[in-house]
Amino acid sequence: MKKLIEITLGILTAIGGFVDIGDLVANAESGARFKMALAWVVVVGVIGICLFAEMAGRVAAVSQRPVFSLVRERLGAKVALANLGASFFINFLTLAAEIAGVALALELASSVNYLLWIPLVAFAVWLVIWRVRFSTMEKVFGLLGLCLLVFAVALWRFGPDWGALLSNAAHPTVPSGEGHPTYFYFAIALFGAAMTPYEVFFFSSGAIEEKWTKKDLVVERMNVYIGFPLGGLLSLALMALCSVILAPRGITVSTLSQATLPTVVVMGKLGLAVLLVGIFAATFGAALETGFSAGYTVAQYLGWQWGKFVRPKEAPRFHLVVLVSIIMGAFLVLTTIDPIKVTEYSIVLAAAALPLTYFPILVVANDPSYMGEHVNGRVTNALASIYLGILLIVSVATIPLMILTKAGS
Amino acid sequence: MAGQKMDAGLDILDVQIVDKDGRMSGVVDDLDFSWDEETGAPYVSSILSGPEALGTRLGGRIGLWMASVHARLHDREDPGPAKISIGVVKKISNHVEITVSREDLDISRSPDWARDTIISKIPGADRAVE
Repeated sequence: MKKLIEITLGILTAIGGFVDIGDLVANAESGARFKMALAWVVVVGVIGICLFAEMAGRVAAVSQRPVFSLVRERLGAKVALANLGASFFINFLTLAAEIAGVALALELASSVNYLLWIPLVAFAVWLVIWRVRFSTMEKVFGLLGLCLLVFAVALWRFGPDWGALLSNAAHPTVPSGEGHPTYFYFAIALFGAAMTPYEVFFFSSGAIEEKWTKKDLVVERMNVYIGFPLGGLLSLALMALCSVILAPRGITVSTLSQATLPTVVVMGKLGLAVLLVGIFAATFGAALETGFSAGYTVAQYLGWQWGKFVRPKEAPRFHLVVLVSIIMGAFLVLTTIDPIKVTEYSIVLAAAALPLTYFPILVVANDPSYMGEHVNGRVTNALASIYLGILLIVSVATIPLMILTKAGS
Repeated sequence: MAGQKMDAGLDILDVQIVDKDGRMSGVVDDLDFSWDEETGAPYVSSILSGPEALGTRLGGRIGLWMASVHARLHDREDPGPAKISIGVVKKISNHVEITVSREDLDISRSPDWARDTIISKIPGADRAVE
């Protein structure tokens, strides 16, 4: 049991990455529009994030160097600054959207307009970062996020034709009425969501917050190999649920409440209650993840003291960046900008900046002067090289596809 | 560290600096070279750290903006980037380890605005970590 509790960092990271506010809607929407024809992307994404998160966590545990510190050192001040600009901006957009996401979950539960919840949510997110112990935060939000397993339960209770679902996933075809560019745009959005860079910023810095060392490499791997596939499983369950319930009726998804619809149909009020707790925890977890990442990236680029393992007074500039990001994020969503659109754009833009984050991780994970005997094996390197190729293609294709498909509409 | 040979660009530039208590104390943003009077060979005499060093090295509009804003915000008699003498460097590995406390460094010559004006005024700023 103690070992199981130790994987909450991986669970929180993955849930915040895979089933945050944007992904909940993106997964539901792709299930409703393309059925299971995009399921393979989630699988490809899970393998990719496992590969690089494991490397980033291993580097952090062995050499005590978090990801953005590696980015700075291996890409040099200039290119790393460009990466910082892009990553920070994307991360900020996500943070803003997650604050609104928590507020939307509260609106569904309370019928009080989400805009009224935003200041309260922003304050709560900051308070948790300021006050709550890192490991407590991990456990509470990681474990509460598991309420989203209600998607899997709902799917099982609905009792779909599993064979048809599987063959639909294994032989992806673009449905009539949808174009290939739109299909690939959605593929990039799902892939970008799976591999979104704040996951490795948070996971590797979290490994240092948790004071992992070489001795914790088993725990580190368990976190990755249980946490991320679990996140992927949740998003596949939601996709499948929407493909069997919404797609046949021609219902498409563009809001959070529509994404909850299939679960309510199958599980009733109780299911909705559990689901809302799960959505609250997942979006709050993602807000924490991105709030921390705002501070981590800037502090690690500039060499400032960061982290919850010192008194806030010892890391004042780190805490200031977090505080200002949360306030600005709250203001951004208070303008009534659509938070779902904000994350959709941020996920797709993230896809364009991915190679700049994952390349330095791969380089350092192979450097014996950092890693000693814990350098990458051949299989890891072969797979990682293939993924860097995919990341490069995706990063080039992203912006043109976005323009061509008018962002998937 | 005197006399050690290493690739300055690869092994030391952009590396995290850690003080004698293991606290993060900036990044090696640039290096200062001096010339040996006898042989005429260049050697690293100090590490430059902080926005002025970084801004100057980055160059371009963003770099110059970063350096000049920082210089204006910190009204000091001794302008120029903060220096750490190579003499206090203990070890260069994953980190640059130094033998002094970060408060005694040139990078701490100006008061920490973020700490003094904002963070230390929030309740709990000084709460010990378990």
